[in-house]
This record gives sequence, structure tokens and C-alpha cells, in this order.
Amino acid sequence: MSFIADKQTLEDLNLMGKYKPNSVYSIFNQVRTAGGERLLDEMFRNPLKDPETINQRSSIFKYFQDKNLEFPFKNEEFNVIENYLSMGTAGNTLTVMTGVFYRKIAQSLLRDDQFQMLYIGLLNAIAGLKALGEFFNALKEDDHPYQNQLRKAKAIFADTRLAWLSSPDHLTDLPVMKVAKYDCLLRNTLRKEMEQLLEIVYDLDVYIAVSKVSKAKNLTYALALPKETNLFKAKGLRHPALKRAVGNPLIFSQANNFLFLTGANMAGKSTFMKAFGIAVYMAHMGFPVAADEMTFSIKDGLYSSINVPDNLNLGLSHFYAEVLRVKHVAEEVASGKNLVVIFDELFKGTNVKDAYDATLAVTRSFSKYRNCLFIISTHIIEVGAALGEGCENIELAYLPTVMQGNVPKYTYQLKEGITSDRQGMMIIENENILELIQGK
Amino acid sequence: MLFTTDKQTLEDLNIFGKHGTDSIFSIFNRCTTRGGAAVLEEMFRHPLSNDQAINQRSNIIRYFAEKGISFPFSATDFDALEPYLNNTDERSKLSAEDNSISKKLSNLIGLDAETAVVYRGVSTLTEMLKAFHDFVISLDLVEGDFYTSEAEAIVGLLTTLPYVPLSSDGKGKLSHVHMAGNDIIFRFRHRNAVQNLLRYIYDLDVYISVAKVAQERKFVFPKALSKNTHDMVIEGVYHPQVKNAIANSIHITPAGNVIFLTGANMAGKSTFMKSLSICLFLAHMGFPLAAKKVEFSVLDGIYTTINLPDDLGMGASHFYAEILRVKKMAKELGEGKSLFIVFDELFRGTNVKDAYEGTVAITGAFAKKNNSMFLISTHIIEAAEVLRKECPNVRFVYLPTKMKGTQPVYTYTLKEGVTDDRHGMVIINNEHILDILEAGIIKQNLA
Repeated sequence: MSFIADKQTLEDLNLMGKYKPNSVYSIFNQVRTAGGERLLDEMFRNPLKDPETINQRSSIFKYFQDKNLEFPFKNEEFNVIENYLSMGTAGNTLTVMTGVFYRKIAQSLLRDDQFQMLYIGLLNAIAGLKALGEFFNALKEDDHPYQNQLRKAKAIFADTRLAWLSSPDHLTDLPVMKVAKYDCLLRNTLRKEMEQLLEIVYDLDVYIAVSKVSKAKNLTYALALPKETNLFKAKGLRHPALKRAVGNPLIFSQANNFLFLTGANMAGKSTFMKAFGIAVYMAHMGFPVAADEMTFSIKDGLYSSINVPDNLNLGLSHFYAEVLRVKHVAEEVASGKNLVVIFDELFKGTNVKDAYDATLAVTRSFSKYRNCLFIISTHIIEVGAALGEGCENIELAYLPTVMQGNVPKYTYQLKEGITSDRQGMMIIENENILELIQGK
Repeated sequence: MLFTTDKQTLEDLNIFGKHGTDSIFSIFNRCTTRGGAAVLEEMFRHPLSNDQAINQRSNIIRYFAEKGISFPFSATDFDALEPYLNNTDERSKLSAEDNSISKKLSNLIGLDAETAVVYRGVSTLTEMLKAFHDFVISLDLVEGDFYTSEAEAIVGLLTTLPYVPLSSDGKGKLSHVHMAGNDIIFRFRHRNAVQNLLRYIYDLDVYISVAKVAQERKFVFPKALSKNTHDMVIEGVYHPQVKNAIANSIHITPAGNVIFLTGANMAGKSTFMKSLSICLFLAHMGFPLAAKKVEFSVLDGIYTTINLPDDLGMGASHFYAEILRVKKMAKELGEGKSLFIVFDELFRGTNVKDAYEGTVAITGAFAKKNNSMFLISTHIIEAAEVLRKECPNVRFVYLPTKMKGTQPVYTYTLKEGVTDDRHGMVIINNEHILDILEAGIIKQNLA
């Protein structure tokens, strides 16, 4: 079973989407090759669920980030090589070689350019393979996370049939005989090895791209723990798509697995919740996270309810849609899964009395589950006070508003407790609105 | 004094719409001519704030609607006319003297483009003026018909214009000399009179196109009352852009000039607020309305705050944006204007306590302004209790939610009072959310 994150969650967190501005995917999509992109896509679609694989992957990223390596190909260069190596060649040595000679003859007699294409592809492939060989040679085979793949790559290059690659001959002006020989070798005899090598290059592409993003954005690698520990610990947690984002610490544990969040509308509640959700998701992919430090226990999935659009055309009531979503999450939680649940401003579509009762009841019921992590935000600060008994595992936090003259400013720094901001009336008084209405 | 409104209001009510979308303007814009459309837009940009002018216009439109008269010109007539009249270059005048054989010959072979435009312009306009005259006469207006004064002005202009009309059988072609004479009169010597006549034609286009809409959609015409009555009777008002819209009635008097609206999110609060605001906006233009009966005393302006943009990128807080808006209205109210002010979910951007106090304070202050009308919606039903005690002129209405099985259904029909819908908990209980969670815990404890 894979990590659960449904469509709404992915949209809330703006995770997927190559062409969506500021999507998390587009932040990391710095890969050079189509194969690399496919791989990245796959990683985004299938987060991992096993702490060892996660730590293994993140340590590879970290290895590349520490080594600060460049991808050994330019975009166009690699396209030519990829095309050349993936040109199918069934049959045996004889047919391949005959094919080369046939093209050579066709070139001189019929001005056919197939031979030329083949020739250029081969030359590029040889140059590329040389560069790649040197790249791998430069990496030491000591004890590091990339070792396995590195060894595999080196083994391919160590093949005696490829010994000519390392010969100092400049391979620019090849006679037809050699063209036929090398072509046959690369596309036929060593076809499997070449395919493996391509896969290794795709992996390499992703590792280098992600590690570069990680370095540029100052991200860190989270440490995955087995799920039994039920822990989440982060310092300087922030939103990866925001420039100058403010970091916040966040700690969850078995005894304290529920965060009740309050604050004004612009104070950063949603952003904080999204930052948390994104970090959880990225961490499960073994990807770097936007934090200074992070440790987490593996979860089974992630559910969020942020930005439920208030869509008139939908026909279905907003409130009812929200209830159905809560119900779905409730079923999942009740089935014993270890989940991360994020609810932003539950039940805002109904009157305050109703929303108060509903938020209180739902919060209390969810808080009985110690194996999941919850963040719930609301404008109804009274719910926080009423939670009381049986909810000792709920931590209260808020994002404050500070008045600077008449204008509210936001610190985006999480504080303990429930917001007591009463800027509303203050601003109304500051602006002399009540007097203005009377025409004074 | 001008009728005031602002961009936010026009956007809230979708008066002009975003590019390419249906708007209130597009409902009425069936004008044949571009000039008519421009006049129509001008009317939308500047509603009237004088009861006589409003009644006059609405009566004219009603007259055309009742008679079912159609516009006597086609759009192609104006295609020839506009470039012609816009050309005020003296050199393009048709010259009466220049009527030599050679000119005639070259005209036979082919006119240069500019002269062709002038020829077509003169002959089209000459024909049109005759047609316009015939049309106005054919209306057979009598004293007391609302279009009479305009018709008299038109006929007056036409008779004083010293042009050479077509022969009365309508077949004849003007001679070159007469063409040249008319050209000078139309474009240069009596340019203003011609422009005035055109404006009458465009006005007529608007009247007739709006009248058609009124007929087709069975809209009613408003009756404007004088400013100081502060009375508003609106029956059966609905949103003209909503299919199968439900109509509502409301009567606003100084004794209940603050309407406090509650109800669930989907219950139709915003739609009702928009319907009423659109109705009042159009009423101040003298236009036909999506309602059964409308009588209103003229106001100085309308301000709505329904879809205030809640834009993260904007930087400014939604709450603060709302405050600035309230402040703007407070200033205008302080100047003694009679306004219609609409706020949808006042102070929704802040915590409930704050929003509660803000709503009570602002609504309370509004309530002291007897010469204006207010429509305020909120989720904070608690505010109603305080307001009920302190402000006798606050009226409470709500849009109810009913449960049909587990699904909430909405009647969209206004009721007196404050909503006491508690369907939230009912739905949650119906969906057994709490039971599901409880059962899960028991299972976990057993395991």
C-alpha cells in the first residue's frame, strides 16, 4: 500500500503540476532529461512508506549536495545520445554491420543521409560515454550511499569490450569498418548495458537536480523514523515556494499530537498549515524539506482541507461538501491508519453557533486518536477555551497580529495559546468610523 | 447632485462584467447602432438622482414597450453614416460647380474612395432624415404621451434644417447640385443640428431595445418617489441572471431601514443582496426591473461590498480593506447623503469575538442614519440579540435551510427573524461522523 494523499490534498498543497506556477513539483523540476523528468514524476506520485528507503534516498541527495557535482551532459547533447542508443536494433552482428555498410553505400550513391545521422549519433555517444566514464571515475568507491549504483556503472565501463573508449585516440574521423564495429557493439551487443547506463543517468539527473535545488533554497534532509515512535519535530519549518518565508518550530509527539491554531485571516494560518503538509509529503519522498532541521515518524497518509472553494455552480452546499470530507477523513482515521490531518477553518459556511458546536465536537472526537497528527485552525477562538478535559494532547497555538500605527502587521511567528488579538475594534476606533457616520 | 457608486459596486453587481462574460449591461444591450450602445453605457455609468427624470425615462421606455414599436433603421445605414459625418475635412466637400463632362465621365468609370463615402453618406442621411420624420409622425403622439416633447423637438429640428429632402414618392434621386448642397448643410453649416438629430436616433435605439427586453422578460417599470419620503416598496424582486430565480419582497421604511440578514452560506444571501442592489441600481436609471412592483424614493448612491477581493498577493489584510471601505461610506453618510449600503458577511476576516463587536458597533451606528438604507449579512447571529434591544429600526430577516433527509435544501424565500438553523450538527450526526470516530477508538482499545 502506498502513501495516501488524495486529489484535494495535492491541490491544497499545490504539489503537482509541471506548468502550475509555484507548485512544489515545478520548484524541483530542474532535471535535464526526459527520463529524469519521468522519474521525478514517479517519485512525486509515489512517496515512500519505509524509513530505510526514505533515509537511503535522502542520503543520496545529501551525498550529491555535499559533492556539489554538475550533470555531465548538456541538454541537446544528451538528447542525441539518447536517441541513438534507443534506436532499436534487433538481429545479429551480421545484419547490423550489413546495415551500416548499406547506408554507407547509399550515402555515396544516392545522397542518402542516414549514414550521416548514424555517424553523428555514434560520435556523440562515444564522446558522452567517455565523459560519463570520467565522471564516475572521479567518484571514489568508499562507503557512501551512492556506492551501489556507482559500482554498477563502473562495472559497465570496466567491460573489456569497451576498453577502446579509454584509448587516447581522438575518435573523430572513424573509418567505415570501425563505425560498423562500434555501432554494432553499442546498439546490439552491449544493448542491455547501455540501457542500464541510461537508467543510471536518469537517476543521476534527478539526484543532481534535486540536490542543487536543495542547496539553492537552503533545504535540509529529514530523518525518517519507524511509525511506532509517532514523532514529528521540525525547526524553522517554512513554505518552500515563498521568498523570505518565516520559519517556525513544530513538535508533535504521542502525548501532544494535536495543534489548535487561531489567528487573524492574514496572519499566516493557511501558509503555516501548507508548509507543514508540504514538509510531511516531501519528507516521505525522501526529498529535502524547507526547514532547518526535521525528524519524523512514517505515516500512512496525509489529508488536508484548505481552500475548499465556495463554488456556487457546484450546486452542492459548501458546508455539506466539507462535512462529507470530514466524514471521509473520520473513516480513514477510525480504520486505524496513522494519518496527518489538516483542517483549515472548518465549517466556515454556517452560522457561528453551529460552527462552534460542530468544530468542538469534531475536534474532541479526533483528539482521541493519538496515532495521528492533527492541525485544525478556526476563527472561533471560544472552542479553544471549551476543549478542556480529555483533550490534554491538544496544544493551542496562534499567529499574532501586531499593530503598527493603524495598520495591522503580522509576525508569522507561532505563539503558544489562543489569539487574544482584538485589533478589530481598535482599528474601527482608530479610524474614527463611528464618529464619521454621525458626520462629526 | 449626481448619483454615486464605485468600481467595487459595479463589479459586485456585475454591471459591466469582465470581458466576454454576461453582464447586466449585456442583458439590455440590444441596440442596433453603435451610437445607441454608447448612449446605453453612458446611462449605466450615470444613473439619475432626480425622481422626475427617472419617471420620464421609464415612462418613455414603457410607452415603446406597450406599443411594441421597432427601430426604423438598420445597422448598415449607420455604417455608411459614421465615417461620413466624422470626416470634417473641408477639401472633401462635394463641389456643386465641378460638374463638368469630364467629372461625370470619370465618375462613371469609378469614384475615388473618399468621394464614394461622401456620396453614400449624403444619400443615406437624406433618406434617413425623411424616414425619421415619417416615423415620428406615424407615432401619432398626443398631448400627454411621454415621448411627445422629444418628438416635438425632433420635428422642430427637421423642419428648420434647410436641406433638400427626397421627393415625396421616395423614388427620386438627388441631383448632383442638391447632393453637394446637402453635404455642406449636414457636415458643416448645420453640423450641430444633425448631431442632435443623431443623438435622438440613438436615444430612440436605446428606448426601443430596452423596451424589447422589458417585454420579453416581463420586467416592470419603477416608480420613483421624491427624496424625502425614504420609502421603498419592492415586490417580487429576483436576480435577472439566475435561471428560475425565486422572487422576494421587501418594504423598507425609516422605521426599519437597517436590514440584518442571516442564513447559511448556500441559502442565497449574496444572491438576494445582489438582486436587490441591481434592482435599485437599474431603478435609478429608469430601466425596467426584474420584479413585480417597485416604488422607491430616490437615493444619492449605492455602495455594495459583496465580493471584496481576499487576495494574498495584495498584502493588505482583508479585514483592513473592509475597514477602509466602511470608512469611505461613513464619510459619505456623515455628509448627509441618502445611500443604499450593502455589506456581505461584515468582518469575516477576523476572529468571531472581534467580528461580533465590530458588527454590533457598525450596525448600531448605521441605524442612527434614518435617511439611508442598509443591508448587512452575517454569520454572527448573536449580534442580533444586542441590536434588537438597542436599535428599534433594525429589521431581521433570514433565508432558511430545510433538511430533506440528510441533504440541506434551500427555499431562497425571505423570512422575518433570525435564522435558528442548527443543521450543522444535524448533518454531522446524520453522517455519523462522531460515531465512526468513537467506534474506531473502541476497536483500537480492544486490539
